[in-house]
Amino acid sequence: MTATDVLTGRPTQAAPVLGSRPGLGAALRWETRKLRAQLRTKALLIGAVLVPIAVVVIVHSQPRPPKDTLFGRFATDNGFAMALLVLGFAAQWVLPLLTSIVAGDIFASEDQHGTWKTVLTRSTSRSTLFWGKSLVSIGFALLALLVLAAATIAASVLIVGHQPLTGLSGQTIQPQSAVTLVVASWACMALPMIGFTCLAILFSVWSRNVAVGIAAPVVIGLVMQLVGALGGIESLRPYLLTTPFEAWHGLLAEPRFTGPLLDGVITSAGWSVVCLVAAYLVLRRRDITGG
Amino acid sequence: MRRFIISVIAALAVVLAVSGAVLAGTGGGSSVTEARLERALPTEFANLYSQQAKLLGHRGVTPASLHAKAMCDKGGAVEDNVGPGSNWNCLVSWTDPNNPMPPEGYGKFELDVHSNGCFTAGGPSKLVGFQTITDTRGREVANPVYEFDGCFDPNGDNTPTGVRFPSVLNVTTTALRPDADNRVGLQLSCGTGATGCQGTVTATAGGTTLGRQPFDLQEELTGTVSFPTPVPAGATEVTFTIRTDTGVGPTSPSTLSMPG
Repeated sequence: MTATDVLTGRPTQAAPVLGSRPGLGAALRWETRKLRAQLRTKALLIGAVLVPIAVVVIVHSQPRPPKDTLFGRFATDNGFAMALLVLGFAAQWVLPLLTSIVAGDIFASEDQHGTWKTVLTRSTSRSTLFWGKSLVSIGFALLALLVLAAATIAASVLIVGHQPLTGLSGQTIQPQSAVTLVVASWACMALPMIGFTCLAILFSVWSRNVAVGIAAPVVIGLVMQLVGALGGIESLRPYLLTTPFEAWHGLLAEPRFTGPLLDGVITSAGWSVVCLVAAYLVLRRRDITGG
Repeated sequence: MRRFIISVIAALAVVLAVSGAVLAGTGGGSSVTEARLERALPTEFANLYSQQAKLLGHRGVTPASLHAKAMCDKGGAVEDNVGPGSNWNCLVSWTDPNNPMPPEGYGKFELDVHSNGCFTAGGPSKLVGFQTITDTRGREVANPVYEFDGCFDPNGDNTPTGVRFPSVLNVTTTALRPDADNRVGLQLSCGTGATGCQGTVTATAGGTTLGRQPFDLQEELTGTVSFPTPVPAGATEVTFTIRTDTGVGPTSPSTLSMPG
């Protein structure tokens, strides 16, 4: 409870007597600590290291390369192609799932455990808590992407090798530039992944249900992919959050094109802002007294 | 939970309304167009073909020396050349002294084009070889031009390239089936090309001319030319001579034997 001036409605200088509320830093620290204590967080990060290694080993041992995905036809004998094959596959549903497991849970679990009243009355304000939880979710998404990318690229290059790569215009890319392009392609996933994190936050706040928070973004991602792949309704593509996941193709072409990347920045930012603002408004207006 | 479901339904309605408005406003325009494919495919093919030449030990082949050009078409004459699909065909011509072009001057590539601007192209094995080739060191290696993936810029140059190739006309009848009056017909197919196939077919059997019939086929269609005069009794074969005004036809007459 903060003492407020009756006339101005602002907190008065007398407030420190009651002890100032912890700021965003404390909320961030606390949410990070909660996240670190969870088994699933550790499991996800360990999985992000081990699963790509297993995938690389298995695909590498196949007698016939998986030609139906981009770069699949070179994946069994080119490490860079392998890293890009795994990227194309991860973008389909692995990345949205990876971030939703944390972001879709972070608000709804307070509902599940009935702890909203406790955290809000004893420690911090709603908006501080909202931004704290959101920033921690985004931070986790970026960390998971970083771990997955590093494990995939390292495993691909070490297990399959670093031969010159054939690009999407048939050009030969020397290993030195191929490394840069593969890393850049993985980095392009960051913004749409933040977009999916914000989507998961919205569902987590809105549904108050952990299952919905985790599953809805993944399902919406798959639906958006389907819509984006259909002919005749392609003018919707720029508005879909899954389109930026494919923007890296331009980096591997000759001449390089970055139009889809710039469009992807706008799309991802748009989705992120809209979802975060909507989630914020829903949380602000919620009646939490029921607990 | 009930409130949540109601708001989800409301949100879905808003999403559908907005996407409907976007579609109505833009007409569902696709970035997959003939001109973009006609630019991307020859560039990629030339790069990969010179890679193949290096594997085969052919000298003097560079992406620039090939002068590769393409004409792309989706689904024949009945469909607009725009949008994703697995029914894209591209006719590609190039210059390689080690491997001359057929009389029509091009090879036909079959493409599966996706809405994101990426495609898988399959080359004509007559001209580019099969899935594996034997390199200069005697190893079996993957043929880079047999099948390949590529992507074009969805915002790239969309002005028409103006590359046009004629259709190839083929006789598809393999055995004559005379009707009750002993009259015969010939089935023709017109391949992918700019203008379709027009011309005449003359049929002769044992010194008798069965007729001289015109044909006019659109690209990627087949048609049957029927001859009014019956095949004289005792004639064992019929010779068809095709003259094409547009399109590239067979250079020598085709002879088919009568059944029985």
